[in-house]
Amino acid sequence: MNRRTVRFMPDNRVVQVPEGMDLHRAAAAAGLELKSVCGGEGTCGRCAVKILEGKPEVGGGNLSPRAKKQGLVLACRTLVTDDLVVEIPADSRLADHQLADGSTGRVLAENTYDRLAEFGLSPLCRKVKVKLPEPSVTENGSDLSRLLLGLKEQGVEGDITISLDALRALPETLRQGSWDATVTLAEISCRETGPRLEIVRVEAGHSEAPPYGLAIDIGTTSNVVHLVDMSTGTVLERRGTYNRQAMYGDDVITRIIHATEEKGGLNDLRKAVVETLNGLIESALLARDLDQEEIVAAVVAGNTTMAHLFLGLWPGYIRLEPYIPAATSFPVIRAAEAGLQINPVAPVLTLPAVASYVGGDIVSGMLAIDVEEHEEVTLFIDIGTNGEMVLGNKDWMITCSCSMGPCFEGGGITFGMRAVPGAIQRLEIEPGTYEVKVTTIGGARPRGIAGTGLIDALAKLRSVGIIDRAGAFHRVPNRRWRTGAEGPEFVLVWAEDTEQGNQDIVISESDVKNLLRAKGAAYAAIRTMLQTMELPPEAISRVFIAGAFGSYLNLRDSIEIGLLPDLPPERYSFIGNSSVKGSRLALMSRVARDKAETLAHQMTNLELSEGNTFMEEFVSALFLPHTDLSLFPSVAAVPSPDANAAGAAGTAAASNEAAVGAGEAQSQAQTQVNNENEGQHS
Amino acid sequence: MPVEIVKERYSSKVGTITLGATKEQGGTRTHTVTVGGDSTLPFLHFEGEVPNPPVVAIEICDRVPEWNPSLLEHYRDVVGDPAAWAQKAVEYGADLIFLRLSSADPELGDSSPEKCADTVKKVLGAVGVPLIVVGSGVDDKDNIVLPAVAEAAAGENLLMGIAEQDNYKTLTAACMVHKHNIIALSPIDINICKQLNILINEMNMPLDRIVIDPSVGALGYGIEYTYSIMERIRLGALQGDRMLAMPVICGIGYEAWRAKEANAPVSDFPGWGDQKDRSILWEAVTASGFIQAGGHIIIMRHPEAVKLVKNNIKQLMAK
Repeated sequence: MNRRTVRFMPDNRVVQVPEGMDLHRAAAAAGLELKSVCGGEGTCGRCAVKILEGKPEVGGGNLSPRAKKQGLVLACRTLVTDDLVVEIPADSRLADHQLADGSTGRVLAENTYDRLAEFGLSPLCRKVKVKLPEPSVTENGSDLSRLLLGLKEQGVEGDITISLDALRALPETLRQGSWDATVTLAEISCRETGPRLEIVRVEAGHSEAPPYGLAIDIGTTSNVVHLVDMSTGTVLERRGTYNRQAMYGDDVITRIIHATEEKGGLNDLRKAVVETLNGLIESALLARDLDQEEIVAAVVAGNTTMAHLFLGLWPGYIRLEPYIPAATSFPVIRAAEAGLQINPVAPVLTLPAVASYVGGDIVSGMLAIDVEEHEEVTLFIDIGTNGEMVLGNKDWMITCSCSMGPCFEGGGITFGMRAVPGAIQRLEIEPGTYEVKVTTIGGARPRGIAGTGLIDALAKLRSVGIIDRAGAFHRVPNRRWRTGAEGPEFVLVWAEDTEQGNQDIVISESDVKNLLRAKGAAYAAIRTMLQTMELPPEAISRVFIAGAFGSYLNLRDSIEIGLLPDLPPERYSFIGNSSVKGSRLALMSRVARDKAETLAHQMTNLELSEGNTFMEEFVSALFLPHTDLSLFPSVAAVPSPDANAAGAAGTAAASNEAAVGAGEAQSQAQTQVNNENEGQHS
Repeated sequence: MPVEIVKERYSSKVGTITLGATKEQGGTRTHTVTVGGDSTLPFLHFEGEVPNPPVVAIEICDRVPEWNPSLLEHYRDVVGDPAAWAQKAVEYGADLIFLRLSSADPELGDSSPEKCADTVKKVLGAVGVPLIVVGSGVDDKDNIVLPAVAEAAAGENLLMGIAEQDNYKTLTAACMVHKHNIIALSPIDINICKQLNILINEMNMPLDRIVIDPSVGALGYGIEYTYSIMERIRLGALQGDRMLAMPVICGIGYEAWRAKEANAPVSDFPGWGDQKDRSILWEAVTASGFIQAGGHIIIMRHPEAVKLVKNNIKQLMAK
């Protein structure tokens, strides 16, 4: 097949793609994500690009007359038939997705501890080179028996089966390589019978190329694929993007509803995620110039709903009390059954889940850390749309999941957005002048606020006295404080300094209340687990924070608002995308694969909606940091901004100065401030 | 064989608060009233100290209220004159006067802050007992009226209200500057109760100048909800939670006199008995219930009910 060169501007990224590929996929191969809602059907008109040089084959599609006039074409309908230079207008570009690992500007250092050495290398697939005797009238065994004998000679033990595809190709392959062959063996674990070996691929001659595998994390919001060299465990390529299922709803519940109540809904969702993954796989393969055939294994981790949707299992009863999934352990299937565009017979392993709302992503995360090795108690937290956590040590592990709402991923907040360039991730508010300094991801002009920026905002608004501990706004004499359509709000960035340029970026009282609920739910879940085990918060010796969210997390602020327990900072560490890390370990080690099963069984799921103190804990946590201040000694020790603000507000009135002490003179000033302002505050 | 009485030991106790100030203390009261200090559950004298008896505040108002005639007739000669009404209340046995500045309500007269401050001064001049003063309940108006009252009554060590979660800063500041005490009202919710105390305390208001109003309901109207919240407040205080260790005030009169049972004429419900007796009992029984639950300051209206309740307090305090 001919390959063509496409150069994308203004990024000046060059990619070699096979002739006939559409530009949307070519852009993806270059690591540039274009907008698309229709999935390449040419109907949504979002992926418009401009051809600067070269002559592609331009199809039709739904493009506005104005766009046509500007010389734009739809990338998904335009095929590469020539070397091209293509310009991607800012409007058509999906902001660069921040991979869950590979991000910059971290606050917590990532814990890069790799347990592969501990587990030992025993990958899901390995290659064995064989030299077979040529058949003759006397040596007249079948090609397959000859191959099996050859494997035995190489020390391969146990029952070996062969995939139909490999068998069909076997006679010609063996003869092509003059009876030298390279066999790819998959080791499929089975609890009852022990590992079973299967020949998934036979190459003619002796191949030096390693077997390649994929570690996959299917998140509700984003999907990540790592391409792994299975001979060493090295990650060669990392790809990530939004889960295309988002077009059917932002959270698992709406997706389950779509899957179960719309005609063909389940298939829609299955296809959406598989297409997302195939896009990532294609892009990774292009970058390494690999053929689909060479990818011979995949391990998938996702929450229970994502695993169901990926496998096309009926998810309906996950949503309904008493929340029953179709399965928590999933069969090993073949790539062709899953729809993944890799070697069709490659085994695809889906990591086991604990319960309906504690999935394989958490089990996978537990593989990446070593809770079960330690006497001391470890807390593992994965904060996303759902907050999932595990508390435990070598003797016990409990886990729970609480709905946090979408606000830490940018949903339900006036100017909330995902952690992509232009999202505010840190901010400072100067006491007294209320001037705001923001730091955005990628240093771009601000467009909105990321989850970590929201945590920062909550802590800072509180520390300068704009909100009180209950999250209520208190008027400050500054033009950034104003009353908007939804009540009081505070301007973080003036319109002229934003990317969009037409709207001030604000945080409103209702945003603050939403955040309070989200952080309250997370903390209440942690407390409920602790109380179930009758442990005080100090008993936690290590905290691991997982997920893209964790990478920018400001620990001090998170404690100050009561999202995380008040523990010394050295007990915290960030482990990045633990789900994809665990998938890689399972891909690379039999010990990890077996451990995943064991861990899933060891963890006790705590159902927060049933018979425990969660609701009470939740209500107590709707306060900054918490109604029980003794849980946050380091926060309670900091003097209150209300007292400070009173001191800064001016001099005391003369009326009874002689009678009052210094503290009270301060509060006199406070009276004046309030008298002026609180008339408008009801 | 002697029976051994099992006693709980608590690590802490309810705080005390003293209301009013005598001349020596910078005010004009003839005496002060101290409540709180309990180191056990209500009236378990064998187990801990109950150093101060609960007290009764009689409610008066700076305008003619729409009260039931059977209640209002006891104040026939004095309604409309808060000073005279206060004197009457003291005659009826009030330990404290609870003055509601209803006329400040923009729809009920819209009295100016100056006029309200003047009313308070007149009441202070007419009686020697300490005073509790609350606004009209309209936040915006109270936020200008109460600071004026606080200033006019500086030194009198009033108990002032009402601070709520969404409106506490103005009143807190006013009480701090002019050395008054504050009522913190929460809606039958122990968390909000604590939170509000924390919020007020964070403005530098000492904890021993806050009184908890847990929101009460009359007999038959949710009395049990407040009862259990008050139990939890007391247990919290005894177990060392400083944010719950405040004396508790209960607005009984207002709630009891809203009940259908206190107002329905006998003609409507012949089996219920005479309305006059019934209403007195309704208020007295509600009040007794909350005293048992741990109420320290009981706000009441009917002189006969007050008599019953004061007698009940005497019995409960006997060791």
